[in-house]
Amino acid sequence: MNKTVTVSEISRLIKSAVENNPLLSSVYVRGEVSNITYHSTGHIYLTLKDNEAVLSCAFFRNSNKSLNFKIREGMNIIAFGSITVYEKRGSYQMIISSATPDGIGELQLKIEELKKKLSAEEIFNADRKRPLPFLPCRLGVVTSPTGAAFRDILKVALRRYPNIEILLAPAKVQGDDAAATIVKAIEELNRKEWKIDVIIAGRGGGSFEDLMPFNEESVVRAFFESRVPIISAVGHQIDHPLSDDAADAFAPTPSAAAEIALPVKSEIEEKISLLEKTGFSSLEKQIEEAKYRINNISSRRVFQNPLELVYMRDMELEDMKNKMLINLRSKIAVLKQQYNDIPDISKLFELQFKERKHRFVSAVQSLDQLSPLKVIARGYAAVFDENRNLIKTTDQTGINSRINVYLSDGMLKCNVLNAEKGVTFGKKTD
Amino acid sequence: MEKKQIEKKNFEDALFKLEEIASKLESGEMGLEESITNYEKGMELAKYCREKLDEAERKIEILQKTKKGEKPVKKEITIKDDTGELDENEEIQGSLL
Repeated sequence: MNKTVTVSEISRLIKSAVENNPLLSSVYVRGEVSNITYHSTGHIYLTLKDNEAVLSCAFFRNSNKSLNFKIREGMNIIAFGSITVYEKRGSYQMIISSATPDGIGELQLKIEELKKKLSAEEIFNADRKRPLPFLPCRLGVVTSPTGAAFRDILKVALRRYPNIEILLAPAKVQGDDAAATIVKAIEELNRKEWKIDVIIAGRGGGSFEDLMPFNEESVVRAFFESRVPIISAVGHQIDHPLSDDAADAFAPTPSAAAEIALPVKSEIEEKISLLEKTGFSSLEKQIEEAKYRINNISSRRVFQNPLELVYMRDMELEDMKNKMLINLRSKIAVLKQQYNDIPDISKLFELQFKERKHRFVSAVQSLDQLSPLKVIARGYAAVFDENRNLIKTTDQTGINSRINVYLSDGMLKCNVLNAEKGVTFGKKTD
Repeated sequence: MEKKQIEKKNFEDALFKLEEIASKLESGEMGLEESITNYEKGMELAKYCREKLDEAERKIEILQKTKKGEKPVKKEITIKDDTGELDENEEIQGSLL
């Protein structure tokens, strides 16, 4: 016998079985939209259906606000979300977290995944991009030889740069084998012998699927690996193909790519001519100015009549000569005067002789006055010991010493009887 | 020597240098002798740029495969002027594979 359960119990069982099933908790569901209701709260309620079944869905406001397209009745979409069970009503439904239009939906997912993968390899980094050559001589093109893209590129390229050299590496730009032919063509143009300066690879605008080759991994990598700077030129309006991100530059159309790749030759030529003219006229002006200055200088008197300069110097010389003469004469006059002022030498000598004689006589006279003989003649005596040393004090003799006393007319030889220190001439002794 | 130095530089550098010389000359800040030297240099650069501009010889070619495994060859093609339309008589392959 089977166990009996209540309605709530069975509902809970179903809910748990459904919501815990990983296959049902994050799932992509493809279907046609019907019964769509945009609720005033911002939530969207719809039913997804195919030929055999229907699925109720809720797309809540916070999830659907980032939707970049409008979901309409009858549209095929791919919804991503989870299945939940609503026990009270005994129904299940899908809670949609994101949705894409079907057809391109899967492709877009694939692109997104590839983009993530290649981003991680830094293939899209801006610093990996190289500047395009300013003046390419040889332009490589990768596209269909019969497509509008090639025609457009040729037209623009030849208009801008009439003598440009173009080498087309043909490739299929849509269909299953397109990617391989694009890769092959890019690789071929990278061969050094073709001397390609810049490559334009692309195609004209088309449906999302048409542009898919430029979202293929091999093609994106070929753009990235190109040795020659490469421009991605895929006609598009909204979504960039991944080749745009991997290329050194990209343009929204092949014509625009040709404009990016090539300068307008006539403009550059005009610019060069203008620069030449500017340079020439500036130099001409400078030369004119120099000429003017030369003329100005050469019109001065000195250059007009150079002899005048000589005459002027002549005059100066004459002046100088006169000045020197005057100077010399006055010098001579001064010297003459000095000569005349010199006194008679013989008279001078006589005068000096007389003066000296007089001075001599008076000196002799004063010498005479000071002579010791004169003093002695006045009654003084000079006393010497036996060794003819002048005795000036009592200490110089002793008792019974012999002394010689010189007087004005002779000498007395004496013996010292006594020496009385302190007794002075003209003073009584005791 | 001078010529070789210019040759080494690319077109863009030469054009830039020419611009520089022209504005220097225009400013009149150089002496006459320096101006003349610079002018000569400028003329040489202008000549070089013109030559560079005329270096390419209008040619439209397309690579065509030969035998499998062998590298493709160039084939010159003619186009109708202005439209960029290929001559209808041209028979060309659509890809290199």
